[in-house]
Amino acid sequence: MIYDATAQRRKKLLRKLGGKTMELILLIVVLVVTLLPIIWGLATSFKPRRELFAYPPTFIGSSISLEHYENIFLSGFWVGVRNSAFYSGVSILLVLVLGVPAAYGFQRCRFRFKKLLFYFVVAGIPLSAGSSVLLIPNYIMMSKLQMIDRWYTLILIYAAYQIPMSIWIIRSGVESIPIAIDEAARIDGCSHAYIIFCLTPRLILPSIASAALFTFIGSWNEFIVSSVMLNDPALRSIQQVIYYFMGFFGTDWGALCAAACMAILPILIVFVLLGKMMISGLTQGAVKG
Amino acid sequence: MLVAPAMLLIFALLIWPLFYTVYCSFFKLDYLNFGGFVEWQNYTRILTDKSVYASFGVTFIVTLCSTGISMLLGLVLALWIDKRSGIMAFGIEMVGLLPWVISMMVGTMLWRWVLNGDTSLFNHVLRILGMEPIQLFNRKTEAVVTLILVMAWRTIGYSMVMILAGLKSISEALVEAARVDGANNWKVLTRIRLPLIKTPMLISAIVLTMSNFNNNTVPMVLTSGGPSNATNVITLYLYKLSFDYYKFGTASALSTLLFAVNAIMIFFYIRMVKYDI
Repeated sequence: MIYDATAQRRKKLLRKLGGKTMELILLIVVLVVTLLPIIWGLATSFKPRRELFAYPPTFIGSSISLEHYENIFLSGFWVGVRNSAFYSGVSILLVLVLGVPAAYGFQRCRFRFKKLLFYFVVAGIPLSAGSSVLLIPNYIMMSKLQMIDRWYTLILIYAAYQIPMSIWIIRSGVESIPIAIDEAARIDGCSHAYIIFCLTPRLILPSIASAALFTFIGSWNEFIVSSVMLNDPALRSIQQVIYYFMGFFGTDWGALCAAACMAILPILIVFVLLGKMMISGLTQGAVKG
Repeated sequence: MLVAPAMLLIFALLIWPLFYTVYCSFFKLDYLNFGGFVEWQNYTRILTDKSVYASFGVTFIVTLCSTGISMLLGLVLALWIDKRSGIMAFGIEMVGLLPWVISMMVGTMLWRWVLNGDTSLFNHVLRILGMEPIQLFNRKTEAVVTLILVMAWRTIGYSMVMILAGLKSISEALVEAARVDGANNWKVLTRIRLPLIKTPMLISAIVLTMSNFNNNTVPMVLTSGGPSNATNVITLYLYKLSFDYYKFGTASALSTLLFAVNAIMIFFYIRMVKYDI
């Protein structure tokens, strides 16, 4: 057989191009399917009201109208933002104040029942993720203690739901500090309290930031518990406010899309800035060695 | 001690409620008033109710299908990204995680806007392709399929990220040794890569199964029980039992049963996640 160099090269080039186009198509499909609802919601929130249900649906309306955004801020959206920010912020504080000493204690100290207690912490991670089993008993408990509809209800619950994951993340941060540093600090005269509350946190700032990030996302996005535990409209979290745009008289989709986009905004900002930290926090414990 | 305050909070709101719900399930507890001690009545009422079994059936189908789709697509995407590096790989990881990070409620709401109604984007695309528009939320099978796909959409990013982390931890030396021994791409994939990412795959399978099983936000916002209970998953059934009918005793019994199912999955999760303490 005559070895035809040009034909061989042409075949290879075609296969490479074919492969590259397949990859491009795959990439576009993945991007479109993943981002479709968000992009469509964003486009809808800028359409003037008359054109929301226009047929055929267009991507951009006849004009960029901000009326939906004005509407939501006039009808109580700001209350939701303020409340959610308050709940998330205080939850993060509570989680860190309780979690850092706990993680340090689990990693560095020896005490009875340590293994058993840590077992409960690790079991708490998947237990609080869905919170369908805990919903009813928590509601009954809170209502018997007259703690429904208070400003501190959600903070306590969110902190309890996020603490196991935070202890898990911070503990592996503490694990990465060699014990020699603690001993050197003791020799230099630092008190135990200083080591736990000032020295170690400064050294494991990325882990603490990662735990804070998870707590923020968990608290900001949480819907079902807040809808069950709060009745007072002045205490509503942001997700509840969005849900109640599905009013009795039909859904105001323009306002809903605008509210949804505003609610995603903080998460998006935080995610773009700290996304790497989130990925490393998620995969901890999954891969060892 | 150092550990005490955190453990107090965990016990008070995560562990004690489990015991409390078992306690409550033996009482008649309508409208939160403790009626009489009714022993096993709540349990028999649940276990003999046909709609509970139907609900469990839907839940299992939805959970298994959405976790399966999510794991499969996550694996494919992770294998694809593993070969790339740099900004594009990172960008795809971020984009993939986006559905996990925006809240379930917002994502489901937006999907409803895309899919629902005559003038929705979905039906418009169908009309362009020459097909009849479908009212997705009025038909039983279509509603279940939609629910499965929305739940899979949310969780693909998580499995992709976990499997990618596992793939990156496979040392190149192993792959090179295999290639020297004459393995082609397929053999490298099936004999080396896949066995070594068993742990991340199992962990994400367990986490996603639990997340989908316990998920009551997505079904409630998407279909709220679906056309005549077609998508009434067990968590939604529980929610309606408590907050539409106020039968907290029966709801506690159902919660206990759900916890039994979850406990099995939690046990396997703890086994898989290795830690030294």
